[in-house]
Amino acid sequence: MNIVVCCKSVPGLVTNLDVSTDGKSLQYQGQLLAINECDEYALEEALVLKKAHGGQITALSMGGIKSQDVLYYALAKGADKAVRVDCESQDPQVASKVLAATLTQLEFDLVLTGTQARDTLGGQVGIGAASRLGLPFAYAVVAVDVQDGKTITVRKELGGGRHADVELSLPALLCIQTGIQPLTFVPPARRIRARQQPVRSYSLADLGVPDDDLVPQGYRIVAVKPPERAHQVELLQGNAQDIAAALLTRIQESL
Amino acid sequence: MARDIVVLVEHAEGKVDSVTLQLLTAGRALATAFKTQLIALAVGHRLESVSAAIQGHGMDRIVIVDHPSLALAAGEVQAQAIAQAARRIDPRFLLIGYSLIGMELTPAVATLLGINALTNCVNLEIRDGAVTVTRPVFDSTQHAHVALDENERAVIALQKGSFAPIESSSTQAVVESVAIDIANIPARSKVLAIIEAPSGGVDITKAEIVVSVGRGIGTAEKIPLIAELAEALGGVLACSRPVVDVGWLPRERQVGASGRTVTPKIYIACGISGAIQHLIGMREAHRIIAINKDADAPIFGVAHLGVVGDLFEIVPALTKAAKEAKAG
Repeated sequence: MNIVVCCKSVPGLVTNLDVSTDGKSLQYQGQLLAINECDEYALEEALVLKKAHGGQITALSMGGIKSQDVLYYALAKGADKAVRVDCESQDPQVASKVLAATLTQLEFDLVLTGTQARDTLGGQVGIGAASRLGLPFAYAVVAVDVQDGKTITVRKELGGGRHADVELSLPALLCIQTGIQPLTFVPPARRIRARQQPVRSYSLADLGVPDDDLVPQGYRIVAVKPPERAHQVELLQGNAQDIAAALLTRIQESL
Repeated sequence: MARDIVVLVEHAEGKVDSVTLQLLTAGRALATAFKTQLIALAVGHRLESVSAAIQGHGMDRIVIVDHPSLALAAGEVQAQAIAQAARRIDPRFLLIGYSLIGMELTPAVATLLGINALTNCVNLEIRDGAVTVTRPVFDSTQHAHVALDENERAVIALQKGSFAPIESSSTQAVVESVAIDIANIPARSKVLAIIEAPSGGVDITKAEIVVSVGRGIGTAEKIPLIAELAEALGGVLACSRPVVDVGWLPRERQVGASGRTVTPKIYIACGISGAIQHLIGMREAHRIIAINKDADAPIFGVAHLGVVGDLFEIVPALTKAAKEAKAG
């Protein structure tokens, strides 16, 4: 079974955040770039499926040259090939169009990705691409069971502790939830060795995505700022003993 | 004629999810502002009880798409059915609840309709005729405010709790059925079974005091520290998703969108940053106490009482005080 894992490079620390002049994206300085958490779980699931059923794993990331690091990380974890698409759009429509165009260039039975990226928190790109390609999909998948070469059964979350078991014919796209497999540790030596491996890169021209498709349409980001708080939180101060005593009093009053 | 506003009814086993009445509040405001109709769209099978439950809740029309194969349809099939119905209505906005079900359907429906989807929205406002939504970004530490262009159509997916439920009135909506072409919807995926939330074991939803632990605890070895506080206060131990994902506590203890929703008298969040998925499961608690070392953590946005500090100092001190109070 050949699997494409879509993994996004996301910043752990964001500074100088502002809206771009055209209002179509957020500008910021991102540091501590790393693989998006649920995408890493998608990669772990791919590794488990590969071990059981064979095939090749292609790690795919969309982003600038800095995002290449997550691909080396995926290779170090056990991905066979790496592909980067030179596209930094934050717009979900644009990103899903580009992802769909990229997937048509790759051979796969299954596409795995996470549920949402920690930066944009949109959760749209995976299923958007599946819909464009006419692939069946499932979101918030917590278990994958390969039936044969043609179908898989997955368990997905419905919320509130409920689940559904869904059968999908291949090829299909799954958005993987965190926790599906334990995360494995990658020794630093392997991460260094992985940097020797080639990364195939596609430009948007290579993919034949028309320029018109790359312009976000229909909205403008007017502001980005810390959330307004529902009410002012009362902060307790002092040493741990004083705080504990105050907390206990307030807890007893509330019961 | 202005395009209508459609609310997608979320339902399971004949029962309407509470998010639907919240979406109808937002939908009513949009319909009034744009002088158009509000339509509730229900897709599934045997929808009599669903239709009855929403009747009289601010909508002008209820549109039913009923077919046996929609009783237990996979996301792809549901999305196609919703998109077909939406094409008939041709609405300006389609409002969907950003539940786990809505998360799957929203991007698919928007793609099929060829319009934008704005997901994970926590607010929707109409200012000078422009619709603006608020959506969290960067681990919910920031909110982006996004204004839709004039006359722009969109699917808007709103988080549960973004609006109060709509009041019912005596005005009855017209109920109509819309037939769709189900035969041509590709059925490459099907639901085999629904697995209800397991009963038995610990029920964190029944406790008056919930002491909840998050990623900030750092290691599994420190969990007993929080368990001890829960015990000293006579409460139960719960947690946020990351703690379950790494296997430190079982799934039945998870609070949040994919876990349980709790409304205890007191909810103590220890080392929980407060991602929206967690807040959904606990923000209705009567008193929320947050202990976190990061003063900017979103949990302080819902907490009544907060401590910005080291939970490894505060929690043992509170446990000790609680034990002494009990003994004394």
